[in-house]
Amino acid sequence: MLINNGFNEDKIQSPLRYIWSIFKSKSIAVLAMWAIVILIFISLFASWIVPHPPLLQDPEQMLLPPYWVEGGTIDHVLGTDELGRDTLSRLFHGVQYTLGGALIITFFVSLIGMTIGAGAALTKGVKASILHHLLDALLAIPSLLSALILITFFGPSYINCLIAIALSLLPQFIRASFLAIEQELNKQYIIALQLDGAAKTRLFRYGILPNILEPTITILNRLFTMAIIEIATLGFLGFGAQLPQTELGALIANSMELIYLSPWLVAFPGLAIFIIIIIVNVFAEGLRHAVIEGEE
Amino acid sequence: MSSLLKVTDLCKSFKQPYGLFSSREKVAFGPVSFTLEKGETLAVVGESGSGKSALVRTIAGVLKASSGDIYINGESICTLSSHKRCVAVRMIFQDPSSSLNPKMTVGKILNAPIELNTNLDAKQRYQRILDTLKLVGLLPDYLAFYPEMLSGMQKHQVAIARAMILNPDIILVDEILTTLDISLRFKIVNLLLKIQQAKGLSYIFVAHNMHLVKHMSDQIMVLHQGKIVEKGPAEEVCERPQHEQTKYLLLTHQPDYRK
Repeated sequence: MLINNGFNEDKIQSPLRYIWSIFKSKSIAVLAMWAIVILIFISLFASWIVPHPPLLQDPEQMLLPPYWVEGGTIDHVLGTDELGRDTLSRLFHGVQYTLGGALIITFFVSLIGMTIGAGAALTKGVKASILHHLLDALLAIPSLLSALILITFFGPSYINCLIAIALSLLPQFIRASFLAIEQELNKQYIIALQLDGAAKTRLFRYGILPNILEPTITILNRLFTMAIIEIATLGFLGFGAQLPQTELGALIANSMELIYLSPWLVAFPGLAIFIIIIIVNVFAEGLRHAVIEGEE
Repeated sequence: MSSLLKVTDLCKSFKQPYGLFSSREKVAFGPVSFTLEKGETLAVVGESGSGKSALVRTIAGVLKASSGDIYINGESICTLSSHKRCVAVRMIFQDPSSSLNPKMTVGKILNAPIELNTNLDAKQRYQRILDTLKLVGLLPDYLAFYPEMLSGMQKHQVAIARAMILNPDIILVDEILTTLDISLRFKIVNLLLKIQQAKGLSYIFVAHNMHLVKHMSDQIMVLHQGKIVEKGPAEEVCERPQHEQTKYLLLTHQPDYRK
């Protein structure tokens, strides 16, 4: 490509490649990325990789501790619950419900929210304010509370809980993406692109979208974390996943009475939620820093 | 034959919130009237806040005029399609490091205006880009570069290339010389003059430095608080300034590098 390419190292990296090369040098973030890949793999293929069916009861082996504690067996690595169901299998299925649900919510909310936010930022007048303030009433209430209110309308079930959480998180996302795009619109290269005669969609695709990576990562990370916490909370309160479904929050709620007898049953799902959130945040933070360094 | 650009009673005011509920109008400039002929250079000078930038931005179409009219080749700008307007009037922004999209290669930046405003095919577009790069003195190598890999001077050249690429009639130049040091400033000035000779286009220049302006422009227009206080041929304005403000401007920019 270069005319006088005397040295073969003159390779021009695109900004995304450059960001990726910075990201690759952050070992903790890369570790977190692989952990996320494994978690997503688990949530996709939980039914095939679990050692026991999550609902299989075994009256011979009830309330077993994990295998490294006195009395545990290697057959049930993390022990069993009061009906003899394998905890590890239930955890894997719990990850499927919680993480998978959060991924679905993040996907749809970001898609819809970004469209509405961009529409509001790129248009003017009544249309913009209708789009922008469409769901503002929900902003007045904390998102968990508004999810609870919506659940009472819809009736408690896992799917309804996902819908309610998505609706309660949508206004925040619209607001955040609107602000990010609004800020970008004042940049000179956007004005220059407008003077080139670019239509709104082209402006958004080439001018705005590549330049709002950093705020987008931040709001996506927040959205995802909130979704996980709210799914688990609604499950714990009994408004989300119903009994045979092994959602992580519901698992904790299920074993609350047995906390003195077998604390493991509460500890493991709680730990799982904690680890998922930590991993996602480490990954997103690493990515964000790579983007910031790449843009300097 | 009507003039290339004719501006009549152009006015721009901004609404400023004042008090709790009311707002008041703040006049950026105007009413301003002037004409520009083909191949001429008009310099707009004035202290900061005198409305020079707002005037240029209004002509470019970034801002909407509050009242008054702009005619290009005798056609009112309201009746012109945004398409034709893009082709007729192009703007070079003050700071090229913020007016070039950091996520697009130079090739894509230059491609955008021709792709959007002409119906040339990819090969013709590429040829046009190469020609324009040659005009501003850049190698085709730079097409694959991203703006932050270029030096300040090269960014200016790319910004000029972007303005030139549609072969416009008028180019608006918004204070691009202020951020450059003296040697580069002259390089840019010479580049712009060379292009003007080759293509016969008109410039509207926004500048502080009266002496540089004298060197490169045919007409000078001095703005003060949004009003034209003096207008005339460059020589005359510089040699025999009539207005207080023009004298101040001439005094503040003593060409100390000539000593």
